[in-house]
Amino acid sequence: MNFLSKDEKILESEFLDQGYIIRKTANKDALEKIKNFVTDMLVKKGGVYLDNAHDIISTNELNDFRLDVIKEINSQSWLREAYYQVAKPYLDILVGNELAMQSRVNLSIQLPEDSSSLLPVHADTWSGDSPFEIVVWLPLVDCFKTKSMFLLPPKASNNLSDNFKFHAQGSSEDLFNEIKNDINWIKINYGEILVFNQAYPHGNRINKESETRWSMNCRFKGLFTPYKDKKIGEFFEPITLRPVSKIAMSYKFPITE
Amino acid sequence: MKSKIKKQFRGYIFSRSFMEERVPQHVQNIIIRDYCSKKNIQYLLSASEYAMGNSSLMLRQLVKDLPSIDGIVAYSIFQMPEDNDERQSIFNSVLLLKKEIHFAVEGLSLYDNDTYNRIENLWQVKKTLPHCNFLEIN
Repeated sequence: MNFLSKDEKILESEFLDQGYIIRKTANKDALEKIKNFVTDMLVKKGGVYLDNAHDIISTNELNDFRLDVIKEINSQSWLREAYYQVAKPYLDILVGNELAMQSRVNLSIQLPEDSSSLLPVHADTWSGDSPFEIVVWLPLVDCFKTKSMFLLPPKASNNLSDNFKFHAQGSSEDLFNEIKNDINWIKINYGEILVFNQAYPHGNRINKESETRWSMNCRFKGLFTPYKDKKIGEFFEPITLRPVSKIAMSYKFPITE
Repeated sequence: MKSKIKKQFRGYIFSRSFMEERVPQHVQNIIIRDYCSKKNIQYLLSASEYAMGNSSLMLRQLVKDLPSIDGIVAYSIFQMPEDNDERQSIFNSVLLLKKEIHFAVEGLSLYDNDTYNRIENLWQVKKTLPHCNFLEIN
């Protein structure tokens, strides 16, 4: 049985076939508030446009700047709720409506030709994430080709997984070379969100485009689904606990003795 | 210029496992010290809870001592008593004294009714998860 509506089934089938969906953000005001906040931090440093951040930030100072921005955005009490709002209807369909959200939202800044911020091919499940998690990836600029990220589609991912023992002795670069003809480079514009299955291999390469990439990412999962190394409390926190769960969790049987 | 006086918090660590987690005591202290440094809190040497199962004796002592300091920094939320009534009574005592209790590894703190509910929700979910009949995932 599947009681999902027609629209929900379309989204489901797209996600299952591709390993991801791209949709318009569900809350434009929340998106703009996030982007404006991040842009203000660049402006304080003397920049104007996120796309041109490489004009004022050197590779050497990039990581410190990025960590400062991450610290600042995560200190904003509104940030995580705004982040959730941009993806809410899609999470409701793909994950459920009683959710745990990662406690900290991450930010990637990818300067052109910068080799210091690369994320080699990996699946999050290979390093402690539960397969019940999903990633909401939010671009703050238009992303395309190497300015974006890549994802290995489900069929190729399953093949890789089945034959992983043949790749296990090599490096992540060897692994990338094995899959590079099968990967999808995600083309996504500001105003859209990407929701992808982090259990499929993904990553990025040196940004060979002439613009800087700014993107944020955060994990969500069903609150009462299995956790791996990323635990409730230290990594995830309930964000939409429902009343029946609240009542049930503190339910006491009548005392009979 | 007058320098801002730092708040003083007593550390609280465990000498036994908690919720099936085991963290060496020196590692717990490193995390607490780092948390205090980031929060500009003066860290007072940690009290170590007794190893006997379900003991919260040291924690209760720390709560008694709270009037002379600003709060407690425990390594984890899940070092608080598992028993709901006992845990909530400790949290209520902290709030009545208008003090704070922080949890270093989770980066959370309890200082008012909203934060009380936030921490209690985490506790209730944590206690419920083992009953969720999960499929085995390796």
